[in-house]
Amino acid sequence: MIEILDLHKSFGPLEVLKGIDLRLEHGKVLVIIGPSGSGKTTLLRCFNLLETPDQGSLVLADVKMDFTAARKIPQKSILALRKKTGMVFQSYNLFPHMTALGNVMEGQVTVQKRSKAEARKRALELLSKVGLADKAESYPHQLSGGQQQRVAIARAMAVEPEVLLFDEPTSALDPELVGEVLKVIKALATEGMTMIIVTHEMKFAADVADTIILMDEGRILEQGTPQEVLEQPKSARARQFLNRLSGEEE
Amino acid sequence: MDDRKIQIILDSLLPLLKAGVAFTIPLALVSFALGLLLAVLTALARISPWTLPKLIARFYVWVIRGTPLLVQLFIIFYGLPAVGIVLDPFIAGVIGFTLSVGAYSSEIVRAAILSIHKGQWEAAFSVGMTRGQALRRVILPQAARVSVPPLSNSFISLVKDTSLAAIITYTEMFRTAQQIASTTYEPLLVYTEAAVCYLLFCTVLSWLQSYLEKRLDRYTAT
Repeated sequence: MIEILDLHKSFGPLEVLKGIDLRLEHGKVLVIIGPSGSGKTTLLRCFNLLETPDQGSLVLADVKMDFTAARKIPQKSILALRKKTGMVFQSYNLFPHMTALGNVMEGQVTVQKRSKAEARKRALELLSKVGLADKAESYPHQLSGGQQQRVAIARAMAVEPEVLLFDEPTSALDPELVGEVLKVIKALATEGMTMIIVTHEMKFAADVADTIILMDEGRILEQGTPQEVLEQPKSARARQFLNRLSGEEE
Repeated sequence: MDDRKIQIILDSLLPLLKAGVAFTIPLALVSFALGLLLAVLTALARISPWTLPKLIARFYVWVIRGTPLLVQLFIIFYGLPAVGIVLDPFIAGVIGFTLSVGAYSSEIVRAAILSIHKGQWEAAFSVGMTRGQALRRVILPQAARVSVPPLSNSFISLVKDTSLAAIITYTEMFRTAQQIASTTYEPLLVYTEAAVCYLLFCTVLSWLQSYLEKRLDRYTAT
Protein backbone atom coordinates (compact mmCIF):
# COMPACT_ATOMS: atom_id res chain seq x y z
CA MET A 1 0.00 0.00 0.00
CA ILE A 2 1.11 3.51 -0.76
CA GLU A 3 -0.18 6.51 1.12
CA ILE A 4 0.74 10.17 1.17
CA LEU A 5 -0.77 12.77 3.45
CA ASP A 6 -0.75 16.54 3.19
CA LEU A 7 2.25 16.65 0.86
CA HIS A 8 3.71 20.10 0.17
CA LYS A 9 6.59 21.11 -2.08
CA SER A 10 7.90 24.52 -3.08
CA PHE A 11 10.62 25.59 -5.46
CA GLY A 12 11.75 28.88 -4.01
CA PRO A 13 8.71 31.11 -3.71
CA LEU A 14 6.65 28.87 -6.02
CA GLU A 15 4.45 26.34 -4.22
CA VAL A 16 4.08 23.43 -6.63
CA LEU A 17 2.25 20.97 -4.38
CA LYS A 18 -0.28 22.48 -1.99
CA GLY A 19 -1.29 19.54 0.18
CA ILE A 20 -1.82 16.25 -1.62
CA ASP A 21 -3.52 13.22 -0.05
CA LEU A 22 -3.46 9.93 -1.89
CA ARG A 23 -3.87 6.25 -1.22
CA LEU A 24 -3.15 3.39 -3.58
CA GLU A 25 -3.72 -0.30 -2.87
CA HIS A 26 -1.26 -2.95 -3.94
CA GLY A 27 -1.77 -4.11 -7.54
CA LYS A 28 -3.69 -1.01 -8.59
CA VAL A 29 -2.92 1.54 -11.28
CA LEU A 30 -3.12 5.25 -10.58
CA VAL A 31 -3.02 7.68 -13.50
CA ILE A 32 -2.25 11.36 -12.93
CA ILE A 33 -3.45 13.84 -15.52
CA GLY A 34 -3.64 17.61 -15.61
CA PRO A 35 -2.41 20.69 -17.46
CA SER A 36 1.33 21.37 -17.62
CA GLY A 37 2.53 23.15 -14.52
CA SER A 38 -0.13 21.48 -12.39
CA GLY A 39 2.52 19.65 -10.34
CA LYS A 40 1.91 16.11 -11.57
CA THR A 41 5.53 15.32 -12.44
CA THR A 42 6.73 16.85 -9.16
CA LEU A 43 4.24 14.69 -7.28
CA LEU A 44 5.47 11.57 -9.09
CA ARG A 45 9.10 12.45 -8.30
CA CYS A 46 8.23 12.72 -4.61
CA PHE A 47 7.47 8.99 -4.52
CA ASN A 48 11.15 8.09 -5.00
CA LEU A 49 12.51 11.31 -3.50
CA LEU A 50 14.02 12.73 -6.66
CA GLU A 51 12.22 15.69 -5.11
CA THR A 52 12.10 15.99 -1.34
CA PRO A 53 8.76 17.24 -0.04
CA ASP A 54 8.81 20.11 2.45
CA GLN A 55 5.93 18.85 4.53
CA GLY A 56 3.67 15.83 4.84
CA SER A 57 4.23 12.10 5.11
CA LEU A 58 4.77 9.09 2.86
CA VAL A 59 4.18 5.40 3.48
CA LEU A 60 5.35 2.89 0.89
CA ALA A 61 5.27 -0.79 1.90
CA ASP A 62 7.26 -0.83 5.16
CA VAL A 63 8.99 2.52 4.61
CA LYS A 64 7.48 5.44 6.52
CA MET A 65 8.66 9.02 6.29
CA ASP A 66 7.68 12.36 7.75
CA PHE A 67 8.86 15.48 6.00
CA THR A 68 9.66 18.77 7.65
CA ALA A 69 11.72 21.59 6.25
CA ALA A 70 14.01 21.48 9.28
CA ARG A 71 15.14 17.85 9.20
CA LYS A 72 16.99 16.18 6.35
CA ILE A 73 15.92 12.68 5.37
CA PRO A 74 18.75 10.26 6.19
CA GLN A 75 20.47 8.75 3.16
CA LYS A 76 19.63 5.25 4.42
CA SER A 77 15.87 5.88 4.27
CA ILE A 78 16.17 7.45 0.82
CA LEU A 79 17.96 4.35 -0.48
CA ALA A 80 15.45 2.05 1.24
CA LEU A 81 12.61 3.87 -0.49
CA ARG A 82 14.30 3.83 -3.89
CA LYS A 83 14.80 0.08 -3.65
CA LYS A 84 11.02 -0.23 -3.54
CA THR A 85 10.38 2.00 -6.53
CA GLY A 86 11.31 1.90 -10.19
CA MET A 87 11.07 4.88 -12.51
CA VAL A 88 10.58 5.31 -16.24
CA PHE A 89 11.47 8.75 -17.59
CA GLN A 90 10.08 10.77 -20.45
CA SER A 91 13.52 10.88 -22.12
CA TYR A 92 14.33 7.21 -21.31
CA ASN A 93 17.70 8.09 -19.69
CA LEU A 94 19.26 4.74 -20.56
CA PHE A 95 22.95 4.44 -19.72
CA PRO A 96 24.50 5.06 -23.16
CA HIS A 97 27.75 3.24 -22.39
CA MET A 98 26.00 -0.04 -21.61
CA THR A 99 24.11 -2.44 -23.85
CA ALA A 100 20.39 -3.04 -23.35
CA LEU A 101 21.35 -6.10 -21.32
CA GLY A 102 23.88 -4.09 -19.32
CA ASN A 103 21.27 -1.46 -18.54
CA VAL A 104 18.89 -4.04 -17.14
CA MET A 105 21.67 -5.83 -15.21
CA GLU A 106 23.23 -2.71 -13.70
CA GLY A 107 20.91 -2.08 -10.74
CA GLN A 108 20.79 -5.77 -9.89
CA VAL A 109 24.58 -6.07 -9.76
CA THR A 110 25.54 -2.70 -8.26
CA VAL A 111 22.64 -2.17 -5.87
CA GLN A 112 21.24 -5.59 -5.12
CA LYS A 113 24.64 -7.36 -5.28
CA ARG A 114 23.27 -10.22 -7.34
CA SER A 115 25.78 -12.36 -9.20
CA LYS A 116 26.36 -11.46 -12.84
CA ALA A 117 24.93 -14.77 -14.01
CA GLU A 118 21.77 -14.33 -11.98
CA ALA A 119 21.34 -10.70 -13.08
CA ARG A 120 21.90 -11.68 -16.68
CA LYS A 121 19.27 -14.40 -16.50
CA ARG A 122 16.67 -12.04 -15.06
CA ALA A 123 17.62 -9.27 -17.49
CA LEU A 124 17.14 -11.58 -20.46
CA GLU A 125 13.74 -12.67 -19.12
CA LEU A 126 12.66 -9.06 -18.75
CA LEU A 127 13.95 -8.08 -22.19
CA SER A 128 11.99 -10.88 -23.82
CA LYS A 129 8.98 -9.82 -21.80
CA VAL A 130 9.16 -6.34 -23.38
CA GLY A 131 9.77 -7.97 -26.77
CA LEU A 132 13.46 -7.13 -27.10
CA ALA A 133 15.24 -10.45 -26.53
CA ASP A 134 17.03 -10.00 -29.86
CA LYS A 135 18.31 -6.52 -28.92
CA ALA A 136 20.11 -7.53 -25.73
CA GLU A 137 23.55 -6.69 -27.14
CA SER A 138 22.51 -3.40 -28.78
CA TYR A 139 23.59 -0.05 -27.40
CA PRO A 140 20.84 2.52 -26.76
CA HIS A 141 21.83 4.67 -29.76
CA GLN A 142 21.17 1.67 -32.01
CA LEU A 143 17.56 1.40 -30.80
CA SER A 144 14.43 3.35 -31.71
CA GLY A 145 12.77 5.56 -29.10
CA GLY A 146 10.09 2.95 -28.48
CA GLN A 147 12.66 0.22 -28.04
CA GLN A 148 14.73 2.39 -25.68
CA GLN A 149 11.68 3.07 -23.57
CA ARG A 150 10.89 -0.62 -23.38
CA VAL A 151 14.45 -1.31 -22.22
CA ALA A 152 13.93 1.43 -19.62
CA ILE A 153 10.80 -0.34 -18.38
CA ALA A 154 12.75 -3.61 -18.11
CA ARG A 155 15.49 -1.75 -16.21
CA ALA A 156 12.98 -0.30 -13.77
CA MET A 157 11.42 -3.73 -13.18
CA ALA A 158 14.76 -5.50 -12.74
CA VAL A 159 15.14 -4.44 -9.12
CA GLU A 160 11.69 -5.86 -8.30
CA PRO A 161 10.09 -2.67 -7.06
CA GLU A 162 6.82 -2.46 -5.16
CA VAL A 163 5.66 0.26 -7.50
CA LEU A 164 6.62 1.51 -10.95
CA LEU A 165 6.56 5.25 -11.60
CA PHE A 166 6.07 6.51 -15.16
CA ASP A 167 6.78 10.13 -16.05
CA GLU A 168 5.04 10.81 -19.38
CA PRO A 169 6.57 7.64 -20.86
CA THR A 170 5.35 8.28 -24.39
CA SER A 171 5.65 12.07 -24.68
CA ALA A 172 9.05 11.99 -26.40
CA LEU A 173 8.08 9.26 -28.86
CA ASP A 174 7.10 9.48 -32.51
CA PRO A 175 3.35 8.79 -32.76
CA GLU A 176 3.82 5.44 -34.48
CA LEU A 177 5.99 4.18 -31.58
CA VAL A 178 3.60 5.11 -28.77
CA GLY A 179 1.50 1.95 -29.15
CA GLU A 180 4.30 -0.55 -28.50
CA VAL A 181 5.20 1.15 -25.21
CA LEU A 182 1.61 1.46 -24.03
CA LYS A 183 1.07 -2.21 -24.83
CA VAL A 184 3.93 -3.19 -22.50
CA ILE A 185 2.58 -0.99 -19.69
CA LYS A 186 -0.91 -2.40 -20.21
CA ALA A 187 0.45 -5.94 -19.94
CA LEU A 188 2.11 -5.06 -16.62
CA ALA A 189 -1.19 -3.69 -15.33
CA THR A 190 -2.92 -6.92 -16.24
CA GLU A 191 -0.31 -8.84 -14.27
CA GLY A 192 -1.12 -6.79 -11.18
CA MET A 193 1.91 -4.50 -11.09
CA THR A 194 1.31 -1.44 -8.90
CA MET A 195 1.88 1.63 -11.04
CA ILE A 196 1.62 5.41 -10.91
CA ILE A 197 1.55 6.94 -14.37
CA VAL A 198 1.69 10.57 -15.47
CA THR A 199 0.40 10.76 -19.02
CA HIS A 200 -1.43 12.82 -21.61
CA GLU A 201 -2.80 9.73 -23.39
CA MET A 202 -6.45 9.90 -22.30
CA LYS A 203 -7.67 6.77 -24.06
CA PHE A 204 -4.83 4.83 -22.48
CA ALA A 205 -5.59 6.38 -19.09
CA ALA A 206 -9.24 5.34 -19.33
CA ASP A 207 -8.17 1.86 -20.36
CA VAL A 208 -5.51 1.10 -17.78
CA ALA A 209 -6.35 3.14 -14.67
CA ASP A 210 -8.14 1.93 -11.56
CA THR A 211 -8.06 5.49 -10.26
CA ILE A 212 -7.44 8.76 -12.07
CA ILE A 213 -6.56 11.99 -10.39
CA LEU A 214 -6.74 15.28 -12.22
CA MET A 215 -4.38 17.89 -10.83
CA ASP A 216 -4.53 21.63 -11.18
CA GLU A 217 -2.31 24.28 -9.61
CA GLY A 218 -0.78 21.93 -7.07
CA ARG A 219 -4.03 20.40 -5.85
CA ILE A 220 -6.10 17.36 -6.69
CA LEU A 221 -9.09 18.68 -8.57
CA GLU A 222 -10.84 15.42 -9.36
CA GLN A 223 -10.33 11.90 -8.13
CA GLY A 224 -12.17 8.70 -8.96
CA THR A 225 -12.62 5.93 -11.48
CA PRO A 226 -11.81 6.77 -15.11
CA GLN A 227 -15.52 7.09 -15.79
CA GLU A 228 -16.11 9.47 -12.89
CA VAL A 229 -13.18 11.72 -13.72
CA LEU A 230 -13.23 11.68 -17.49
CA GLU A 231 -16.96 11.58 -18.16
CA GLN A 232 -18.61 13.20 -15.16
CA PRO A 233 -16.11 15.72 -13.81
CA LYS A 234 -17.56 17.84 -11.02
CA SER A 235 -15.63 21.07 -11.48
CA ALA A 236 -15.76 23.53 -14.35
CA ARG A 237 -11.92 23.65 -14.48
CA ALA A 238 -11.79 19.90 -15.06
CA ARG A 239 -14.45 20.04 -17.80
CA GLN A 240 -12.53 22.83 -19.50
CA PHE A 241 -9.26 20.85 -19.40
CA LEU A 242 -10.88 17.66 -20.70
CA ASN A 243 -12.73 19.47 -23.46
CA ARG A 244 -9.56 21.11 -24.64
CA LEU A 245 -7.82 17.72 -24.76
CA SER A 246 -10.62 15.99 -26.66
CA GLY A 247 -10.66 18.95 -29.02
CA GLU A 248 -7.00 18.30 -29.78
CA GLU A 249 -7.55 14.64 -30.44
CA GLU A 250 -10.10 15.21 -33.14
CA MET B 1 75.90 21.01 -45.15
CA ASP B 2 79.33 19.56 -44.51
CA ASP B 3 80.15 16.07 -43.35
CA ARG B 4 81.03 17.18 -39.84
CA LYS B 5 77.55 18.57 -39.27
CA ILE B 6 75.88 15.49 -40.62
CA GLN B 7 78.06 13.41 -38.34
CA ILE B 8 77.01 15.53 -35.32
CA ILE B 9 73.35 15.03 -36.18
CA LEU B 10 73.76 11.29 -36.51
CA ASP B 11 75.87 11.01 -33.37
CA SER B 12 73.44 12.94 -31.21
CA LEU B 13 70.24 11.28 -32.47
CA LEU B 14 70.60 8.14 -30.40
CA PRO B 15 71.49 9.92 -27.09
CA LEU B 16 68.55 12.28 -27.59
CA LEU B 17 66.03 9.53 -28.29
CA LYS B 18 67.44 7.48 -25.44
CA ALA B 19 67.03 10.40 -23.04
CA GLY B 20 63.49 10.80 -24.37
CA VAL B 21 62.52 7.19 -23.82
CA ALA B 22 64.40 6.70 -20.55
CA PHE B 23 63.76 10.07 -18.88
CA THR B 24 61.26 12.37 -20.63
CA ILE B 25 58.52 9.77 -21.15
CA PRO B 26 58.75 8.15 -17.67
CA LEU B 27 58.62 11.57 -16.03
CA ALA B 28 55.62 12.54 -18.16
CA LEU B 29 53.80 9.23 -17.64
CA VAL B 30 54.25 9.05 -13.89
CA SER B 31 53.33 12.72 -13.43
CA PHE B 32 50.30 12.39 -15.67
CA ALA B 33 48.98 9.25 -13.98
CA LEU B 34 49.32 10.79 -10.52
CA GLY B 35 48.12 14.16 -11.79
CA LEU B 36 45.00 12.62 -13.28
CA LEU B 37 44.17 10.94 -9.99
CA LEU B 38 44.65 14.27 -8.24
CA ALA B 39 42.53 15.97 -10.92
CA VAL B 40 39.60 13.57 -10.41
CA LEU B 41 39.79 13.99 -6.63
CA THR B 42 39.95 17.77 -7.00
CA ALA B 43 37.03 17.80 -9.43
CA LEU B 44 34.96 15.61 -7.09
CA ALA B 45 35.81 17.89 -4.18
CA ARG B 46 34.69 20.89 -6.20
CA ILE B 47 31.31 19.42 -7.10
CA SER B 48 30.77 17.88 -3.67
CA PRO B 49 28.06 19.31 -1.42
CA TRP B 50 30.59 19.90 1.40
CA THR B 51 32.22 23.27 1.96
CA LEU B 52 35.66 22.33 3.30
CA PRO B 53 36.78 20.02 0.44
CA LYS B 54 35.42 22.61 -1.99
CA LEU B 55 37.51 25.38 -0.43
CA ILE B 56 40.68 23.28 -0.31
CA ALA B 57 40.27 22.28 -3.95
CA ARG B 58 39.66 25.86 -5.06
CA PHE B 59 42.66 27.12 -3.09
CA TYR B 60 44.91 24.47 -4.65
CA VAL B 61 43.80 25.23 -8.22
CA TRP B 62 44.11 28.97 -7.57
CA VAL B 63 47.71 28.72 -6.32
CA ILE B 64 48.99 26.30 -8.96
CA ARG B 65 47.33 28.07 -11.89
CA GLY B 66 48.42 31.48 -10.67
CA THR B 67 52.14 30.74 -10.35
CA PRO B 68 54.66 29.76 -13.06
CA LEU B 69 55.59 26.09 -13.28
CA LEU B 70 59.23 27.10 -13.51
CA VAL B 71 59.02 28.93 -10.20
CA GLN B 72 57.23 25.97 -8.59
CA LEU B 73 60.00 23.63 -9.72
CA PHE B 74 62.63 26.00 -8.31
CA ILE B 75 60.86 26.11 -4.96
CA ILE B 76 60.59 22.33 -4.80
CA PHE B 77 64.14 21.54 -5.91
CA TYR B 78 66.24 24.53 -4.81
CA GLY B 79 64.02 25.98 -2.10
CA LEU B 80 62.99 23.00 -0.01
CA PRO B 81 66.57 21.99 0.90
CA ALA B 82 66.64 25.17 2.99
CA VAL B 83 64.15 23.49 5.34
CA GLY B 84 65.94 20.18 5.18
CA ILE B 85 63.95 18.54 2.37
CA VAL B 86 66.36 17.42 -0.32
CA LEU B 87 64.74 15.70 -3.28
CA ASP B 88 66.06 13.67 -6.15
CA PRO B 89 65.54 15.58 -9.44
CA PHE B 90 63.10 12.94 -10.72
CA ILE B 91 61.02 13.07 -7.54
CA ALA B 92 61.07 16.87 -7.52
CA GLY B 93 59.95 16.85 -11.17
CA VAL B 94 57.16 14.36 -10.50
CA ILE B 95 55.87 16.48 -7.60
CA GLY B 96 55.93 19.68 -9.64
CA PHE B 97 54.35 18.26 -12.77
CA THR B 98 51.77 16.21 -10.84
CA LEU B 99 50.57 19.31 -9.01
CA SER B 100 50.37 21.17 -12.30
CA VAL B 101 48.48 18.44 -14.17
CA GLY B 102 46.17 17.95 -11.17
CA ALA B 103 45.17 21.60 -11.11
CA TYR B 104 44.69 22.15 -14.84
CA SER B 105 43.05 18.81 -15.58
CA SER B 106 40.68 19.08 -12.63
CA GLU B 107 38.89 21.79 -14.61
CA ILE B 108 38.62 19.44 -17.60
CA VAL B 109 37.30 16.59 -15.44
CA ARG B 110 34.88 18.90 -13.65
CA ALA B 111 33.51 20.26 -16.91
CA ALA B 112 33.17 16.72 -18.28
CA ILE B 113 31.23 15.57 -15.20
CA LEU B 114 28.96 18.61 -15.40
CA SER B 115 28.37 17.97 -19.10
CA ILE B 116 26.63 14.65 -18.36
CA HIS B 117 22.86 15.15 -18.45
CA LYS B 118 21.19 15.20 -15.05
CA GLY B 119 18.80 12.51 -16.27
CA GLN B 120 21.72 10.09 -15.98
CA TRP B 121 22.09 10.88 -12.28
CA GLU B 122 18.35 10.49 -11.80
CA ALA B 123 18.24 7.19 -13.65
CA ALA B 124 21.09 5.91 -11.48
CA PHE B 125 19.39 7.12 -8.29
CA SER B 126 16.09 5.61 -9.36
CA VAL B 127 17.58 2.10 -9.56
CA GLY B 128 18.76 2.67 -5.98
CA MET B 129 22.37 3.76 -6.43
CA THR B 130 24.20 5.94 -3.94
CA ARG B 131 25.97 9.06 -5.16
CA GLY B 132 29.28 7.19 -5.19
CA GLN B 133 27.87 4.27 -7.16
CA ALA B 134 26.24 6.62 -9.65
CA LEU B 135 29.56 8.41 -10.15
CA ARG B 136 31.59 5.26 -10.55
CA ARG B 137 29.21 3.25 -12.72
CA VAL B 138 27.33 5.88 -14.72
CA ILE B 139 28.80 9.38 -14.65
CA LEU B 140 32.59 8.93 -14.70
CA PRO B 141 32.65 6.40 -17.58
CA GLN B 142 30.72 8.88 -19.71
CA ALA B 143 32.78 11.84 -18.50
CA ALA B 144 35.94 9.92 -19.37
CA ARG B 145 34.84 9.70 -22.98
CA VAL B 146 34.14 13.42 -23.11
CA SER B 147 37.48 14.33 -21.59
CA VAL B 148 39.77 12.22 -23.77
CA PRO B 149 40.50 14.96 -26.35
CA PRO B 150 41.23 17.76 -23.84
CA LEU B 151 43.19 15.40 -21.56
CA SER B 152 45.28 14.21 -24.50
CA ASN B 153 46.05 17.85 -25.10
CA SER B 154 47.21 18.18 -21.51
CA PHE B 155 49.40 15.12 -21.82
CA ILE B 156 51.06 16.34 -25.00
CA SER B 157 51.61 19.70 -23.31
CA LEU B 158 53.13 17.92 -20.36
CA VAL B 159 55.58 15.94 -22.51
CA LYS B 160 56.94 19.25 -23.80
CA ASP B 161 56.84 20.93 -20.38
CA THR B 162 59.10 18.23 -18.97
CA SER B 163 61.92 20.07 -20.75
CA LEU B 164 61.69 22.46 -17.80
CA ALA B 165 63.10 19.63 -15.67
CA ALA B 166 66.43 20.34 -17.36
CA ILE B 167 66.90 23.26 -15.01
CA ILE B 168 66.52 21.06 -11.96
CA THR B 169 69.37 18.89 -13.32
CA TYR B 170 67.16 16.07 -14.59
CA THR B 171 68.93 14.71 -17.68
CA GLU B 172 65.95 14.39 -19.96
CA MET B 173 65.92 15.08 -23.67
CA PHE B 174 66.47 18.83 -23.57
CA ARG B 175 69.27 18.72 -20.99
CA THR B 176 70.93 16.06 -23.11
CA ALA B 177 70.66 18.42 -26.09
CA GLN B 178 72.22 21.23 -24.04
CA GLN B 179 75.15 19.01 -23.14
CA ILE B 180 75.72 18.01 -26.77
CA ALA B 181 75.35 21.59 -27.96
CA SER B 182 77.96 22.84 -25.52
CA THR B 183 80.53 20.26 -26.56
CA THR B 184 79.95 20.51 -30.31
CA TYR B 185 79.36 24.30 -30.53
CA GLU B 186 76.39 23.65 -32.85
CA PRO B 187 73.40 25.02 -30.90
CA LEU B 188 71.19 25.65 -33.91
CA LEU B 189 71.69 22.15 -35.24
CA VAL B 190 71.33 20.27 -31.97
CA TYR B 191 68.40 22.25 -30.58
CA THR B 192 66.54 21.89 -33.87
CA GLU B 193 67.20 18.18 -33.73
CA ALA B 194 65.82 18.09 -30.19
CA ALA B 195 62.72 19.94 -31.41
CA VAL B 196 62.25 17.33 -34.14
CA CYS B 197 62.52 14.58 -31.51
CA TYR B 198 59.79 16.23 -29.41
CA LEU B 199 57.67 16.52 -32.55
CA LEU B 200 58.18 12.83 -33.20
CA PHE B 201 57.09 11.87 -29.68
CA CYS B 202 54.03 14.11 -29.80
CA THR B 203 52.99 12.78 -33.20
CA VAL B 204 52.99 9.23 -31.87
CA LEU B 205 50.91 10.43 -28.91
CA SER B 206 48.35 12.05 -31.23
CA TRP B 207 47.97 8.71 -33.01
CA LEU B 208 47.38 7.01 -29.69
CA GLN B 209 44.75 9.64 -28.91
CA SER B 210 42.77 8.95 -32.10
CA TYR B 211 43.01 5.22 -31.44
CA LEU B 212 41.69 5.70 -27.92
CA GLU B 213 38.85 7.94 -29.13
CA LYS B 214 37.81 5.36 -31.72
CA ARG B 215 37.80 2.60 -29.13
CA LEU B 216 35.64 4.65 -26.77
CA ASP B 217 33.34 5.65 -29.62
CA ARG B 218 31.62 2.34 -29.91
CA TYR B 219 28.64 3.37 -27.81
CA THR B 220 28.01 6.80 -29.31
CA ALA B 221 26.13 7.63 -32.46
CA THR B 222 27.89 8.82 -35.66
